[in-house]
Amino acid sequence: MEVLEFEIRSGGTIRIDLEKCETCETKACVKHCNTQGMGQILELKDGVPALKYTPEEVKRGACTEDLGCELECELRGNHAIVITLPLPELDEYLRDLSEKPTYLRGQ
Amino acid sequence: MARLLEHQGKALFKQKGIPIPEGRLVGSVAEARTVADELGFPVAIKAQVLSGRRGKAGGILFADDEDSLLKGIKELLGKEIQGSAVDRLLVEEKEEVQREWYMAVTADPSTRQPVGIFSSRGGVDIEQTAESEPASIVTAPIDISEGLHHYDAMDLLRQVGDLDSRQMLVLANVFTRLYQVYREYDCKLAEINPLALVEQGAIALDARVDIDDDAASRQTTLDIDFAEEAGDRAATLLEIAAATIDEHDHRGTVHFVQTDLDASYARGSGMVPVGLDAIGAGTGLTIMDELVPLGYYPINFCDTSGNPVGSKFYRITKVILAQPQIEGYLFVSCVSSQQLDNAARGVIKAFKELYPGTAGQPNIPCIVLFRGGWDDVAVDLFREHGISEGRWIKVLGRDTMERELAEIFDSLYRDWKRETGGL
Repeated sequence: MEVLEFEIRSGGTIRIDLEKCETCETKACVKHCNTQGMGQILELKDGVPALKYTPEEVKRGACTEDLGCELECELRGNHAIVITLPLPELDEYLRDLSEKPTYLRGQ
Repeated sequence: MARLLEHQGKALFKQKGIPIPEGRLVGSVAEARTVADELGFPVAIKAQVLSGRRGKAGGILFADDEDSLLKGIKELLGKEIQGSAVDRLLVEEKEEVQREWYMAVTADPSTRQPVGIFSSRGGVDIEQTAESEPASIVTAPIDISEGLHHYDAMDLLRQVGDLDSRQMLVLANVFTRLYQVYREYDCKLAEINPLALVEQGAIALDARVDIDDDAASRQTTLDIDFAEEAGDRAATLLEIAAATIDEHDHRGTVHFVQTDLDASYARGSGMVPVGLDAIGAGTGLTIMDELVPLGYYPINFCDTSGNPVGSKFYRITKVILAQPQIEGYLFVSCVSSQQLDNAARGVIKAFKELYPGTAGQPNIPCIVLFRGGWDDVAVDLFREHGISEGRWIKVLGRDTMERELAEIFDSLYRDWKRETGGL
């Protein structure tokens, strides 16, 4: 149980590296989810984040996808959370693009 | 609005008993040869694109023999008509036309009911006829609880004045069937132009059927994969990508359309192409009104409303910034009741992913403006994540009005252009 991974409503996943969470002093993700987030789906269990609801309930929409857990973890935690939000049609568009988007230029 | 291709519209007409020319859909020279064997000559070869000015753009050809058929197929396949690539052609029998009319059923927003429209001038844009010969157009409202009966259609056609009794009977029959198409398929518009008089009666030579996008989900037999308004062209892959954002998640909405696909209008008008995301469609229009006089043209329109979840903002920000022509980006909220910190997180996550080398600080001029619920939190988030410190971004709060925003963007763009030379 080193990783907590679950699916979310819009199509995508939230992956939490619990090994990193063990040494996290803030547990900022749980705090955010329960104070600013509307879903309040995370809780602390044995010192690491856990889901309050079943993965099915979370996928059905209990997670409100405010992205706060990941960003708070980046700011105040251990960089343990990765939210993946695929958009395959955009990837296809970018593959066929002859001119690079501006964010790929001059960096 | 989901617009059907001609052959799809004609299939609905046929189903309801409206006569159409015998035809087949082809995608290659070999298929066309087979169809010609079945239909004989002469035939019409018609590009299957959504453009309303297809004929004028050279998308309709005629062939009297196999040589001209093959030449026509080769000419049209792969051709681009008003931004849409032609990959399917409708080959159908060419009719001996004695006369052309216009017939339609559409929604009348002023009366909030359907209206039947008929004109004795077919084969030209109805808007053009309305200007040049308004007297040739007759209309009648249709009571949706009653439907369009044969005698209603006859009453309407009687106003035309130059139809004989046989023609009126035939046309009334077509009218009632066209109304059936309109109702059964939740149309905004069911149009036949031209509706041709031929020896056997009346026949629909073209079909325009626009489905109400709000009803697209229940029109499961129509194979509609894109229901956003894209005008007189097929949806682009980027628009389709944006449309999928709402596909499985109805918590808030994202509406995105490319208004200047290759930025040729912006550049041709001496303006700088920019990307735009507005919370509130009215805000989008207002900010355009302020940007355009200063020389900036949003090449997309985007409205993210109904309190979308943060993940939707993340995805649509990536879509907008994927337009390679943009030399600036603006995110502007109205005084919104939405939870703007969610919006901010979506934009921040996208920026961090797209600009990893600068921890999310963009390399083109960007303005983000938050006004409304949790706007202070949204502004703070950009500061906390170090993005506000970026040279080419301004994060603004509730005290900023549209004109001021446009002026700040103008100043930022000029500095960027002067210091970097642009991209």
